[in-house]
Amino acid sequence: MSSEQDHLKETDTEARFEFKKEQKSSFQAEKGLTEETIRVISEDKDEPEWMLKRRLRALKQFHEMPMPTDWPGQPDLSEVDVNEIVPYIRPDVETRGGVDDWTDLPDDIKDTFDKLGIPEAEKNALSGVGAQYESEVVYQNMQERWEEKGVVFCNMDKAVQEYPDLVREHFMTKCVPPSDNKFAALHGAVWSGGSFVYVPEGVTVEMPVQAYFRMNSEGMGQFEHTLIIAEEGSEVHYIEGCSAPKYSAFNLHSGGVEVFVGEDAHVQYSTVQNWSKNTYNLNTKRAIVEKGGRMEWISGSMGSKATMLYPSSVLKGRGASDNHITIAFAGKGQNIDTGAKVYHNAPETKSTIESKSVSKDGGRTNYRGLVHIADGAHDSSTAVECDALMFDNDSTSDTMPYMEINESTVDVAHEATVGKIGDEDVFYLQSRGLDDDDAKQMIVSGFIEPITEELPIEYAVELNRLVELEMEGSLG
Amino acid sequence: MSTQLPASISEETVRQLSEERDEPEWLLETRLEALAALSDAELPDVIQTPGRRWTNLAVLDFEELVDPLAQTEERDLVSPESEVEVLSFVDAVAEHEEVVRDSFGSVIDPERDYLTALSVALFSSGTLVYVPEGVDAEDVKIRTRMEGRSLFNHTLVVTEDSSSVTILERQSSEPYSEEGMRYYSGLVEIDAGENSYVQYGALQNLSEETYNYTLKRGVTDTYSTVNFIEGNLGSRLTRSDIETELNGDSSETKIVGAFFGHRDQHFDVNARVWHQAEHTTADLVTRGVLDEEARSVYEGVQDVGRGAWDTNSYQRENTLMLSDDSEADASPKLIIHNHDTEASHSATVGQVDQEDLFYMTSRGIPHLTARNMLVEGFFVPVLEEIAVDELRDDLEELIAARLR
Repeated sequence: MSSEQDHLKETDTEARFEFKKEQKSSFQAEKGLTEETIRVISEDKDEPEWMLKRRLRALKQFHEMPMPTDWPGQPDLSEVDVNEIVPYIRPDVETRGGVDDWTDLPDDIKDTFDKLGIPEAEKNALSGVGAQYESEVVYQNMQERWEEKGVVFCNMDKAVQEYPDLVREHFMTKCVPPSDNKFAALHGAVWSGGSFVYVPEGVTVEMPVQAYFRMNSEGMGQFEHTLIIAEEGSEVHYIEGCSAPKYSAFNLHSGGVEVFVGEDAHVQYSTVQNWSKNTYNLNTKRAIVEKGGRMEWISGSMGSKATMLYPSSVLKGRGASDNHITIAFAGKGQNIDTGAKVYHNAPETKSTIESKSVSKDGGRTNYRGLVHIADGAHDSSTAVECDALMFDNDSTSDTMPYMEINESTVDVAHEATVGKIGDEDVFYLQSRGLDDDDAKQMIVSGFIEPITEELPIEYAVELNRLVELEMEGSLG
Repeated sequence: MSTQLPASISEETVRQLSEERDEPEWLLETRLEALAALSDAELPDVIQTPGRRWTNLAVLDFEELVDPLAQTEERDLVSPESEVEVLSFVDAVAEHEEVVRDSFGSVIDPERDYLTALSVALFSSGTLVYVPEGVDAEDVKIRTRMEGRSLFNHTLVVTEDSSSVTILERQSSEPYSEEGMRYYSGLVEIDAGENSYVQYGALQNLSEETYNYTLKRGVTDTYSTVNFIEGNLGSRLTRSDIETELNGDSSETKIVGAFFGHRDQHFDVNARVWHQAEHTTADLVTRGVLDEEARSVYEGVQDVGRGAWDTNSYQRENTLMLSDDSEADASPKLIIHNHDTEASHSATVGQVDQEDLFYMTSRGIPHLTARNMLVEGFFVPVLEEIAVDELRDDLEELIAARLR
């Protein structure tokens, strides 16, 4: 206890923490999600009336919608108790299931941090420890430089207050409506935190926008909402998350991401997510791409007990394009069900999906994807490629693509391969003096290179390191 | 889901069907169990994506479609000179009751879904192809011409050790005097003994007011091979499932499919294979052409079980669209539980290559002729897979006729 107190004194969160602790008990009495709960959240955040209304509408839809249960081979969600959500929906509350002290984290998570060599200051922020560290001056400077160009980066809660018109128009209206699925509805009711990015017409943000958010762990709730609006001819690369495991005793993460890609704009959204292995990761991510715009989804799914995540793009304007590059890694006890969805709703639209997965020690990976070419989307093309690597006989690797083609002047191709690591490759590397483990690690690193080469160097290094750790079986 | 028992069918109906055929007690029991299963059986699974169901089987109104006691058909059974037995079901039960009893309902679970159970309860026309040990039989032919409103057909193929057989089955429908839709249901069970070889080909050219449901399933023993070929050209709506369970070490299967849809035809074709033993090989090849407002739905499943070491499994599906109003949906699936596997699948959708067309028209070939030549060429890789000459020629003929 005393060490905890000392630890808190070093931070400026002590006062807040104490205050929240008193509040805690009023929440614990409730079971299940009620209108009252939502009102309290909204009031807490001092939200305008329209946002409260949206939350309440989403809540109603959440109660009406069924759990997704009829998907072939889907992860088992029976453990997800949506009535247990209440204590966790205020990300700044002590009971959200995080821990307040580095020493309280599970050992395997601490090990990972140590092995990844992440700086001490970031360790706490990234691992979901309640303590907050203020962003350093360097990040502030960057922010100011962007603001001069009219670029906006801020916390989503703040955006509701300061940019109400933009948020009101784009927030869970055209892109991801709460009616999309049960967890999108849940998200719409209880969302908190996340990032708001606005890039005005013609502005190019040269560096990836992770530097600021990475330290700002306030954006790392269980129900964070990210809204990116890239106006005509602009360009931005947003990086979400981090490659160290985010720990929470509460096991549901249900985020929402909405991206609006304006005419001829280019948005790249990269995420390397690595949730602790008790987490159910059920997200909804979608982009709407206007004429000539380009959307790129780069994602690495690591960790979690079960993941269901299918980033999607709606190619709405002529000549819009979309690229997906995904990698999934499933180890012991993990079920990673992930893929991509693309709707070609305009002529001359193009999409590519490249999916890689590795399954090991009884883990399951699945590629589940949908490509839909609407009637009238002539001269469109899509190419989907899935490669899966399996390590042993306890693991499972599935591929379930769906193609709906309503247009004849198209070029559609899907291919998938599954195999094991080539014995000859391993033998060759061993003959050059590497041991069996190193050889396999090297092969896997090569296998996932299409992803790592798209990431900024520090992320790529971390991702590679992370895969190595998974391969060693030193995690979990 | 309209999974209720049609008023025209009762236990009495089934008893009468069975009595007319002088069937033994166990067969009547199997029929009655299937009938009882109808009350809570579901329609076969259909692929669903957000907001869409790929095939609507609920349109089948069995009140209208089924007239079980008035099933009539014309049948030709041709067996070559060898010792192979090709018998109608009535004769088969009389002459080889043990063979029928052992295999009937063992390859296909009669209660797997509503359409299958209905077929088992009501089938009136059936064939046993029995190939004794070491016998090689070629050119077994079964031709069924449906005459009434509905027909339920059951084909049972049993091959003993080290035998081989090539079977060609055709379905067509005779003109029918009354208005309204018709229904054809055909189940095929293939029980392949050790080291035996079965080549089963089917050509479906039913009239276009017919709904067609067919399920063909084979199980293999050690070293055996079961190959399926299916051509679909007729019917208003076809739901076809072809499945092989590779239960024997070093067994193989090849499933070859071709379809050509026009007007508002709907083909829901499915090829599935389960690798359950070691050193098994599967190859799934499907090609289809769609014209006018036709729609195709394809699912291919390659399931590699945990004990299926050293598996090779391949699947490819290609669709050619001749019209902007057609739709092609595909879902090739891989489910792999053993890493000692080489597996791949691919699916493509496209149209006639404009450059090829330009080249041919520049050589003086009229546009339509050129297009038709290219369509015929598109089917060649599938036709080459067909080992039965007669089936290949017939299919080519039907494709050419449709293009004219």
